[in-house]
Amino acid sequence: MEKIKFIIDGKEVEAVKDQNVLEVAQENGIYIPNLCSNPEVKSSGGSCRVCLVEAHQNGRMRLVTSCNYPVREGLEVKTETPLVKRIRKGILELMLARVPDAEVVVELARENGIEEPRFKKDEGDNYRYKCIACGLCVQVCEEVVGVSAIAMLNRSYEKKPGTPYMKPSEVCIGCGACAYACPTGAISIKDQGDTRKIWGKEFKMHTCSVCGKPYIPEAQIDWIVETTGKDRSFFDKCPDCR
Amino acid sequence: MAVDINKIDEIISSHERSEESLLSILQSFQRELNYVPEEGIKRLSESFGVPESRIFAMATFYKALSLVPRGRHTIKVCMGTACHLKGGGLILEAIERELGVERSGTTKDMRFSLETVNCVGACAMAPVVVVDNEYHGHASPSNVHNILKKYE
Repeated sequence: MEKIKFIIDGKEVEAVKDQNVLEVAQENGIYIPNLCSNPEVKSSGGSCRVCLVEAHQNGRMRLVTSCNYPVREGLEVKTETPLVKRIRKGILELMLARVPDAEVVVELARENGIEEPRFKKDEGDNYRYKCIACGLCVQVCEEVVGVSAIAMLNRSYEKKPGTPYMKPSEVCIGCGACAYACPTGAISIKDQGDTRKIWGKEFKMHTCSVCGKPYIPEAQIDWIVETTGKDRSFFDKCPDCR
Repeated sequence: MAVDINKIDEIISSHERSEESLLSILQSFQRELNYVPEEGIKRLSESFGVPESRIFAMATFYKALSLVPRGRHTIKVCMGTACHLKGGGLILEAIERELGVERSGTTKDMRFSLETVNCVGACAMAPVVVVDNEYHGHASPSNVHNILKKYE
């Protein structure tokens, strides 16, 4: 673990080499707005572009996404310059026009001085109107869960996450990790009684033997037992009653 | 529409079994079956051990691949700048009316698939309609019928 020193907003900080700028900034109490990166998901980040900062090195400056930019000795990062603010505002304005229903985007845009975008807003109640197409749900499903039930479909303006043919997936285990990770709450997950509905598929939930609360899809238990060899009886009680 | 499983397996087995051949197999489906069938994606996923979602995503990404059977002839109406100014949109509407099919659709008799493109590099002939690989320049809503009638 090679330690290095670099400068962020005029303050010298210590970090582990190859840590990303966003992470170090957060450790040092510096706020950089961000949406699409998740420290638990290695392949995440770099797509929403909200976390842009100025990276100065060797006498040159570049705008980089702080969530996947590795820190180096001699680097100087500036997070709130007029340039960063202007570009970030532009990105958020476009994003707001694209996903006017996403509360987190509305809030971020407001923080950056945008109440209404100058562009025509997308309208409708389809989940696409909250989705910023960052791909975090797909990365979680592949890297963390390991089933790859969903993928990013189509291209450009039509890009969105989904199951093959938008039909109920054969491999989805109903864990809901995609919906949990989604930065804008675009993925619909509904728990009703002992049934969970997600991606157009219904899952029977397993009930806790102590409190009687349905808490995990049967399919997810099957998957965990199959991949980790954990004893099935472990799931008799929910995490609260264990 | 029934798909020929043997044909699908034949195409798959004629390629090397590695993830790099996925795209060329999808192209072979498109070439030989005129589309990428659902069954083909399933078989590929099983025999390559690649998630079905990822193969489906590939098939939706490339415009050259179609998930529904294509017609015998492909009509491309140019929507590039020059053609747009010369009334490419009207040509498209005229063809849609003539064939009773929407953009990126296929006629019921499987004769034509209609699509739009963003420039075919023949701006001097604008507006241009390309059928299969034949270029028809200076198209107009009134001669659309004449252009299409020779394709069966």
